[in-house]
Amino acid sequence: MFLIRRLHKWFGLVLGLQFLLWSISGAAMALIDHRKVAGEESIVHSTPSPTPAGVLSLAQVAQAVGQPISQIELRPLQDAWVYAATTPSGVQLVDPVDGRRIVIDDARAKTLAVAAFNGTAPVTSVSRVDKPTLETRDFALPAWRVEFADKEKTTLILNAVTGEVAGAKTNTWRLWDFFWMIHIMDYTDRQSFNHPLIIIIATGCLWLALSGFIMLFSAFRRQDFAYIHDGIEWLQRRR
Amino acid sequence: MVRWPSVARKAHKWLSLIIGVQALFWVVSGLYMTAVHIDIIHGDHLVRTPVAEPISMVGLVDPAVILKTAGGAQSLRLDQQLGQPVYIVSQKEGRSLFDARSGEKLPLIDEAGARQRAEQIYAGDGGVREMELLYEIPGEIRGRPAPIWRVQFEGLWRPTLYIAPQTGELVAKRHDLWRTFDFVWMFHIMDYETRDNVNNLLLKIATWMMVVTSLTGAWLLLYSFRRKRRVRKAAA
Repeated sequence: MFLIRRLHKWFGLVLGLQFLLWSISGAAMALIDHRKVAGEESIVHSTPSPTPAGVLSLAQVAQAVGQPISQIELRPLQDAWVYAATTPSGVQLVDPVDGRRIVIDDARAKTLAVAAFNGTAPVTSVSRVDKPTLETRDFALPAWRVEFADKEKTTLILNAVTGEVAGAKTNTWRLWDFFWMIHIMDYTDRQSFNHPLIIIIATGCLWLALSGFIMLFSAFRRQDFAYIHDGIEWLQRRR
Repeated sequence: MVRWPSVARKAHKWLSLIIGVQALFWVVSGLYMTAVHIDIIHGDHLVRTPVAEPISMVGLVDPAVILKTAGGAQSLRLDQQLGQPVYIVSQKEGRSLFDARSGEKLPLIDEAGARQRAEQIYAGDGGVREMELLYEIPGEIRGRPAPIWRVQFEGLWRPTLYIAPQTGELVAKRHDLWRTFDFVWMFHIMDYETRDNVNNLLLKIATWMMVVTSLTGAWLLLYSFRRKRRVRKAAA
């Protein structure tokens, strides 16, 4: 037991800070509403308009795209419809009625974002993202980042090729993301929880927790529970 | 006079008695989730990346025709399955499959069709061990529409593919490492019912109790290394 106590003490000294940080970041994340973190409430899903009359035939789409196609999808993009053709060089959007190519530029991204935003605050900035950032690390790039002037500084991320709203980032998410970084110990990308550092520290903390658990069996004496025993007796007497 | 070391020791001891088992669960489950790479958990190694082959548009029914047959379509996609061109149509009431040559709506994929598709996707060595059309969605693919084909393969960790009979598409891939992850995740977030509520009251109480326990432990450290220094001083 002496050895266990020493192990617990020294592991506590070396790993205690990370154990404490795991506790605090875990407790903080438990308090932050996950629906707000996921950004579900920031996006409105509009009911799609009926499909347009006289959509182009497959041959006409193929001609408009001018490349081999492995998949074609006819789908709504906010209140309009698009043909999305998958080609060897990526997805191409085509207007389903007149066959013109649709490009998601900054003006279009802004319009799409405003329509999808669940709020009335104006747009503060529209910028293109070509390299992964903390906010866009889970999304396909290139993307458009459209920020709004609401309290949460809601930012919608749109796929720059397809125009689809990929997700929303809010101040709640930004706060949560800080604790997530602490929790997974990936201080640069905040993405991977499968790296050697965290595995080594977690293995050490397993010994910290295990030695503490073993010590519990010898840490208590009969008199420690006397208060509980007395309390129960008192309750029984009252009955 | 308050004897602070005794207070710290007592607080740490009693808090540990309450939270100790859960602390152990947290560390063990956390260690598992960090040690087994998330790509393996997701089962990326179980399936082949589909090769995007160009579709020949000759002799195919046009989207306008399919839209007329399937009223109120929310989207429609031309794709290929087992070398055959198909339309996958989303409607309010669900998704369905159309033959892109005849334009006819296809019935639910039968056992042979599901087996063929699963075997084409599966990247492991073993063959199909068991197939069943499930009308009740098992916990490991909660939230997916029924019915669904479960295709179990021979091989390490019981690899299983789920194929939607409505569209013939792969819906989910599971194996025992995923199932273990899901199980330890349940202990990690202490949601024993739906396994997805990270804001449940029990977790909030337990985590903050853990914070206090850790803090009292840190406090105890202040007293735990003192004696030796004194001994050294005395010796000097």
